[in-house]
Amino acid sequence: MLISTTKRIPKWILIGSILCSSLFVLNQCSLNNSPKIDFNTQVKPILNKHCIHCHGGVKQSGGLSMMTREKLLTPTDDGKPAIIPGSPSSSEFIRRLTAEDEEERMPFEESSLAKKEIDILTQWVKEGAEWGLHWAYQPVEKVDIPTVTETALGVVDNDSKQVWGNNDIDRFIFKKLKENELTPSKMADKRAILRRVSLDLIGLPAPKEIANQFLTSNQSDAYEKLIDQLLALPAYGEKWASMWLDLARYADTKGFERDAGRDIYAYRDYVIKAFNQDLPYDQFITEQLAGDLLPNPTDAQYIATGFHRNTTTNDEGGTNNEEYRVAAVVDRVNTTGTAILGTTFACIQCHGHPYDPFEHAEYYQMMTFFNNTRDEDTHKDYPLLRMYRPTDSLKLIELTNWVKNVESEERANEIKHFLKTWQPTINSIDTDSLVNAALYDTKYLGFRQNGQAIIRNVTLTGKTKLIIKVLNVRKGGQFSIRINGFNGSEIAKYQFFKNKLDQPFLEIPLTKTVGKHDLYLQYKNPLQQNPNAMDFRMDWFYFTKDFPGENDDENASYQKQYWELMQTNPSTTLITLENPAERSRTTAVFDRGNWQTLKEEVAPMTPKVLNPFPENAPKSRLGLAQWITDKKNPLTARTMVNRLWEQLFGQGLVKTVEDLGTQGDAPTHPKLLDWLAYQYMNDFGWSTKRLLKEMVLSATYQQATNVSEELLLKDPYNELYSRGARVRLSAEQIRDQALAISGLLSPKMYGPPVMPHQPEGVWSTPYNNSSWQLSEGSDKYRRAIYTYMKRSAPYPIMETFDVATRDVCSARRIRTNTPLQALVTLNDEGYMEAAKHFAERIKAELAGDSKAQIQYGYALALGREIDERRLTVFEQLYQTSLVDFQKDADAAKNITEGLIIKEDLAETAAMIIVANAIMNLDEFMMK
Amino acid sequence: MSKKSHQLPEEAAKKHAQLNTRRLFLQQCGLGVASMAIGSVLGGCGGNTSVNSTNEIVKKITNNLPHFAPKAKSVIFLHMAGAPSQLELFDYKPALAKLHGQECPTSLIAGKKFAFIRGVPTMLGPQANFQQRGQSGAWVSDLLPHLAEVADEITFLKAIHTDQFNHAPAQLLMHTGGARLGRPSMGSWVTYGLGSENENLPGFMVLTSGGYNPDAGKQVWGSGFLPSVYQGVQCRTKGDPVLYLSDPKGMNRDIRKASIDAINQVNKLTHQEFQDPETLARIAQYEMAFRMQIAVPEVMNIKDEPDYIHKMYGTQIGQSSFANNVLLARKLVEKGVRFVQLFDWGWDTHGVSSDTALDIGLVDKCRATDQPVAALLKDLKQRGLLEETLVVWAGEFGRTPMQENRNGVGQSFMGRDHHTDAFTIWMAGGGIKKGYTHGATDELGYNAVSGAQSIFDVQATILNQLGFDHEKFTYQFQGRPFRLTDVEGEVIREVIS
Repeated sequence: MLISTTKRIPKWILIGSILCSSLFVLNQCSLNNSPKIDFNTQVKPILNKHCIHCHGGVKQSGGLSMMTREKLLTPTDDGKPAIIPGSPSSSEFIRRLTAEDEEERMPFEESSLAKKEIDILTQWVKEGAEWGLHWAYQPVEKVDIPTVTETALGVVDNDSKQVWGNNDIDRFIFKKLKENELTPSKMADKRAILRRVSLDLIGLPAPKEIANQFLTSNQSDAYEKLIDQLLALPAYGEKWASMWLDLARYADTKGFERDAGRDIYAYRDYVIKAFNQDLPYDQFITEQLAGDLLPNPTDAQYIATGFHRNTTTNDEGGTNNEEYRVAAVVDRVNTTGTAILGTTFACIQCHGHPYDPFEHAEYYQMMTFFNNTRDEDTHKDYPLLRMYRPTDSLKLIELTNWVKNVESEERANEIKHFLKTWQPTINSIDTDSLVNAALYDTKYLGFRQNGQAIIRNVTLTGKTKLIIKVLNVRKGGQFSIRINGFNGSEIAKYQFFKNKLDQPFLEIPLTKTVGKHDLYLQYKNPLQQNPNAMDFRMDWFYFTKDFPGENDDENASYQKQYWELMQTNPSTTLITLENPAERSRTTAVFDRGNWQTLKEEVAPMTPKVLNPFPENAPKSRLGLAQWITDKKNPLTARTMVNRLWEQLFGQGLVKTVEDLGTQGDAPTHPKLLDWLAYQYMNDFGWSTKRLLKEMVLSATYQQATNVSEELLLKDPYNELYSRGARVRLSAEQIRDQALAISGLLSPKMYGPPVMPHQPEGVWSTPYNNSSWQLSEGSDKYRRAIYTYMKRSAPYPIMETFDVATRDVCSARRIRTNTPLQALVTLNDEGYMEAAKHFAERIKAELAGDSKAQIQYGYALALGREIDERRLTVFEQLYQTSLVDFQKDADAAKNITEGLIIKEDLAETAAMIIVANAIMNLDEFMMK
Repeated sequence: MSKKSHQLPEEAAKKHAQLNTRRLFLQQCGLGVASMAIGSVLGGCGGNTSVNSTNEIVKKITNNLPHFAPKAKSVIFLHMAGAPSQLELFDYKPALAKLHGQECPTSLIAGKKFAFIRGVPTMLGPQANFQQRGQSGAWVSDLLPHLAEVADEITFLKAIHTDQFNHAPAQLLMHTGGARLGRPSMGSWVTYGLGSENENLPGFMVLTSGGYNPDAGKQVWGSGFLPSVYQGVQCRTKGDPVLYLSDPKGMNRDIRKASIDAINQVNKLTHQEFQDPETLARIAQYEMAFRMQIAVPEVMNIKDEPDYIHKMYGTQIGQSSFANNVLLARKLVEKGVRFVQLFDWGWDTHGVSSDTALDIGLVDKCRATDQPVAALLKDLKQRGLLEETLVVWAGEFGRTPMQENRNGVGQSFMGRDHHTDAFTIWMAGGGIKKGYTHGATDELGYNAVSGAQSIFDVQATILNQLGFDHEKFTYQFQGRPFRLTDVEGEVIREVIS
């Protein structure tokens, strides 16, 4: 019995309570008889804790590294390997652990290892010092469901009818509970389950009809029906998108200094829709990483690439655009690691990973996939998708069809792509060698008298026109472009006859030229007397061909349409596009993470310790997505499954949802995690709804949350799932729930972010005139996911309730419980407004005495009947308040301001006080 | 509220303590119950030096923080956002005056990157008169006559360098140890480690002036990856002094009290039913919220300060000003607030307009800030608080000895560009030497010639004065231990008394 526990006792229990450490002592007695030492669960934790800090991927003191077996068996500075497999007595590694001399003994300058640890290491060397790959880097294999005997399942529920356990999840959970001499908790009350599953799946209380159907049904599949109905509601996507937007660091502003607004809400809407359509997770990932590289991408697939355009950009005067472009690329690598792979790549930006088997250069091999996108920290956040209004979309289709006819499909696609994205263009920040010219406001190239600038490496073959996006011009200005130097041959020229152009674009014919050239731009203006005046300023350059169909009758009208479409101002969203081949970048290793000190160049590749890069996959973001969504990838499914579990149960099966690596926590239920991951990829076909359904169907999920002294002692953190999860609601759930019960909630979905109540003076950003403008009408009552998210001044309520600031990828919100939260729900104007309308609703829907109304209101808010003691408390609060408001009519008038009710103001006011109190209850804030 | 109820946080903490191993506690400090008992409002993650039963319990189960006996109990960080010119205030360079108007030698600009200077700029002599002050003989210009009087209390660090030449990243580096967004601010670290000494006030409070928030936004007092309970709480001089502090319109104090009592009575029933320690924490937080509603307006009210104090600081009741903020800072540390951060916006003297001109805008900024800053040092001293309060005055970088020439064109006013290689900050109180100068720059004030110190060194020193070993004060995040000073920083031993 004891022998078998040595191997079976999982790591989590060894680091747990006193009870567990006594088990550990027992293990020691039986070490000699135990099966082989397991590297991953027994040896690696010791090495990680005590050795690898000095003998790892960063420091290799004495020439010894314990990162891999090969390294450990390499001769050290002493000239021989530290370990001789099979022979502890001749292994320096073992000798040093017990050396008398403190100078020699390891760990250096720290107390020596515990005897049990030394025993494990000695036995391990004796057994051949075999290595093992960390669990999370091993492929997900099919897992056998634990067999649980009928007697094991012999726990009865409240009605003494069923045995415990609804599905396979419960078998895993039950097995571990039994091992720990625990039984599951009873099933929660039907109403409690309804509230819990509704808040979890749609982030709101269930709609009335669905709720009633469930509560009144006696059928065995009533709960399953409820789940299916909830999963089908559009509110489901709005709930689950929040989780993803934390990872995607989605916000409505750019981040630094003036922190200007940015339109990328189309991406937020894409995420909501993707959840609602239950887009398979592999496709969801692929579209976000490489939607633009899919064949004939749809608008949605372009919009999806906004995922990695949510990086911050720096508009501040004088910033180095390349520095911030690189910072964004680095962020994309790190976010891909944390969000999708549950792995911390950030460490290997500067050096080899100190703990996990990733090498320094591998970071840059990964980075290569992301380093060739068009965005380069421009003020306008190019490239953008121009989302034409329906009428303009039709015009675009007409135009492209016509081009297809008069010229070719290729040309039609080129024109369509340009009109939809204004790409491929060269930004004015890419010019150099400026003389009498500058990047004005460090953004736009502007020329003064005798101005000069150079654009490098432009392929002119086949190009006959240059289109420039212009900001201002001056009468008399003469602009020219030459090749082979400022005195070389002129290939374009233009003269300005007015101070303003008819359209913000300039089209200049180009002399036919072959090959790749540096272009020499010059400007002068005989009419300009002031040498410091800036005459001519521009945004980007587009080298193209003549408009097609020269001889076609409709040429003129389509050309007009072309220019019109170019100039319309449709709403836009940030997207990812790849650089054209001629402007592609190379990627090199940064010396110690410094982007300005480059070492050897690298090619795109994924870390070799993980699954192989799929054969025939392109070495692009698309190939990377194929590698990530390959079923052989050990991390993708585990990471997502763990994250979804955390959302429902309050903690992950691996608590560190951001890191499944060796520094993360060990899984509490490794087999369950793998079983879920395998199901997700295979039987469930990456369907997130299907997976969530499985989880909430489990008896584990439906347990009551009551804690007892025994449970607190044996399972203090509910890591064994001996009871239901009692967890504080998220910021979004708190707001949405309040709006829902008050009847204020607007069902409107999608579109630009909105501004609900916010106290004056929260926004006070330098060089930025924008201000918080309370949204009109029902727009101020929309779900929290639509609230404007300003990075430098987040919506204070969300911040108080632990919403990530969305500056960088955030995999886990740390839940807190603070007096500032109490102040929000007690006093915030918006929350108070919900209380007012909640009180009004109670009074409108139930005529009667205050007691009955309080009963009704409590049931609306909590979904359960109020008990006598609570009722007494609230009735007393009502009566006390009523007396007060009857005495003070002004107060009653003030607190009911904005309501339709004009009679019995004191009664309404008193009910508002009760409503506000109910909406502040612990049970209301928790699920 | 019942007398008994104030024992609730203690009970919750005890319960928590019983259940926790040290490791889990450290990992989860800030989660759920832990955050309640020991968040910024009660005490730090590592316990508290004051005798407080809750924290005593906590202390037994955590690493003993601080790491060693602290010299300072609290910090007032005065950040002049925009970066004041050291060449007009502290770093006197007569040689620069001689070069005024001449083209900058190419040796100074070769290979250098500037925020706005393009091509070859001209040199710009000091635009203020300097004198040596007090016994220490520190150079302080005539723009700061009041500060000059207390020069003997101060250590000037004249060769500080940073690696960020734009405001937002440099401010982030100064306060979070990283130039990008996402890391916890210094005040968050400190309250995470030490908590507050006043259980009715947040441990980390922020005041802003100058018309705008700092360029780096609220992230400079954000909690980054630390639990949100450690973020700085902004005190406002208009509207609620702390957001959501006042009761809704129409609700009087009696009703509010009755309603919190009702909430907590029901919460106690809920606790009986579910036995969740988190519920106990919530009960305590509601009581604390009620107390904060009284304590915060009290401490934010400067009306009751005597006249001589108002004269000393140059404060005017009812106004929003830097002077008022400085007086509030004194009141806050007096009440036990651990970390007070002041940001005063508008020091970015490029010379693009009169308010950014060295001889106009800078003079105005000095006039508005000099008297209250000097008053703060005198006032703290007369109250015996200066020894335990570390006062730091700094911008995010310094300014060039060259005239800024934006877009390669001259400016209409005298102004300087951003300069990262050497600039002056100062510290006083909190165990820092009095009347001392550390470090020096070359004769143009361009490069350090001695005592060069990084931003990380400054952070390490501040933490040191509070009793932290900056290399050991870490938080596990994304697979590795993070610290304020990243992988750098050395305590500047020379400035410690």
